[in-house]
Amino acid sequence: MKNKSTLPWVFLTPAMVVLAVLALVPTVCAIVISFEDRELSRPDGNFVGFDNYLALFSDRRFVNAITVSLSWEVITVGFTMLIAVGLGILLFECVSPRTRKILALLFIVPVVLPRVSAAFVWKFAFHPLYGIATYPYKAITGQPLDLLSNPLTALGTVALVDVWQWGLFFSVIVLKLLETLPPQPFEAARLDHARTWEVYTYVALPMLKAPLISLAFVKMIESLRAFDLIYVMTRGGPGISTETLDMYAFSQGFIESGRISYASGMAVLMMIATSLAFTVIWKRAKI
Amino acid sequence: MSRRSTGRLAGRAILLLAAFSAVFPAFWTALNAFKNRVDIVTPTPLFIFTPTLDNFAYVLGRDSVFDGLFNSLVTSGAAVLIGAVLGLPAAYAIARHPHRWSKDIQFFVLSLRFLPPVAVAIPLMVIWLQLELYDTRLSLIITYTLLTLATVVWLSVPAFARVPKEVEEAARVDGYGPYAIFFLIALPIASRSLIGAVAFAFVLVWNEFLIALMLTTSDAKTLPIVASELTQLGRDVPWGILNASVVLLSIPPLLFIGVLSGMLNSAFKRKSS
Repeated sequence: MKNKSTLPWVFLTPAMVVLAVLALVPTVCAIVISFEDRELSRPDGNFVGFDNYLALFSDRRFVNAITVSLSWEVITVGFTMLIAVGLGILLFECVSPRTRKILALLFIVPVVLPRVSAAFVWKFAFHPLYGIATYPYKAITGQPLDLLSNPLTALGTVALVDVWQWGLFFSVIVLKLLETLPPQPFEAARLDHARTWEVYTYVALPMLKAPLISLAFVKMIESLRAFDLIYVMTRGGPGISTETLDMYAFSQGFIESGRISYASGMAVLMMIATSLAFTVIWKRAKI
Repeated sequence: MSRRSTGRLAGRAILLLAAFSAVFPAFWTALNAFKNRVDIVTPTPLFIFTPTLDNFAYVLGRDSVFDGLFNSLVTSGAAVLIGAVLGLPAAYAIARHPHRWSKDIQFFVLSLRFLPPVAVAIPLMVIWLQLELYDTRLSLIITYTLLTLATVVWLSVPAFARVPKEVEEAARVDGYGPYAIFFLIALPIASRSLIGAVAFAFVLVWNEFLIALMLTTSDAKTLPIVASELTQLGRDVPWGILNASVVLLSIPPLLFIGVLSGMLNSAFKRKSS
């Protein structure tokens, strides 16, 4: 298109200026604050260099938060992808296109729910006395089952909610990906008497390797925002057993001590990690 | 052959179980919203009970819930409106008038979608406090515009790219200017996908929690914050009221589920063609 229209500039400039201002001002501000010793009670801060970052690495709660966040990433990304691929294949293989459509619609219900709602729905379902999910255990053993107050099971229980939301949703995406594949390789494999699982392991999934890896990266970044679920379901407890990075940053900055600068240091580290992961996705998706 | 059909049957059973797990928790919550407290706090879960509207009446009658609903509607609505007005033309410019920065612009826009909310909320809290705009709907609208604008641009670029070029060429031959082509041709043709993009942006900010939690304390609190405060109540938890407020919070996103799944379908149709 060789027109010298003003349109691209008129259309693009306002949006980009607004986005740049709204994104860069907080980012720069976060970095500046992280080099200061600001607190909520005091509006001004002094420049302290890397003190906050150095303090972070000798902070055992921060190290704990990294561990919790990493376990959270591994659990939620791993199970989400497993369930997505498993259910996606079943949807593709076992039911008629009509049923597929209905099931696909039902499977996106959890992810559309506000996370606060999802968290509450499950928090109540796991209630030791009145919960519907713990009822069978209680009926059989006569003992209440309190998964969310047990440091060993709390993180897994919250992760279940995340996987419930994302695994079902991603299974619909896997189904759509399978539907876009050409049918010939499937038929060829069937003619060679390949069993169903062999068709998927050796033919279909390798063909979908690139989009599936991208999907896993998207989930990795999405999993960094565990905050809403954890805040409603456990508030980082019992103890600090479910305290992820964003939960810890929040409680340092707001609940306990109001150490805004310290919290900001953590936020900057998270930002760096996210940007790295995102750049990898972008490169993979384009090349 | 019989082995195959047993496998198929087992697969169907698993799918049925998954569908049940997808819908039942929400259904159970909705059911509980119509129960009296005595019917919720039972040793065995009750399916048959005398329904009551007290919970909804209480929730809707409470000022805090009503204010939260109002704040959510105003902030989400305004942010989505600004996002659409600025974002749709920008997306069209990216899709139809590519130049050497287009890729970088798309990278920048999409990377914003993945910014950790806590990293945005902490500095913004400091900024809004200094500008004395903390805990106002205005500051929340401006903050949410970052989310809605980035989302609308990101999802609308492919929607505009799918509009057949020939149609726009024909319009140009008929003497339409570039602006007229956007408003009279591209916008109506792409409207279905664009509505999906805007709906997605709305659901995103309606469900948003962390930023609202950090940027509001009383006046501008949104519905998710109010609902989460109800869930933190002490011993005598009013379970019915809680369930009712969760149902209220979940209705708007569920209303859009058809639009969203339609968007998902069209996004993948493009790849296959």
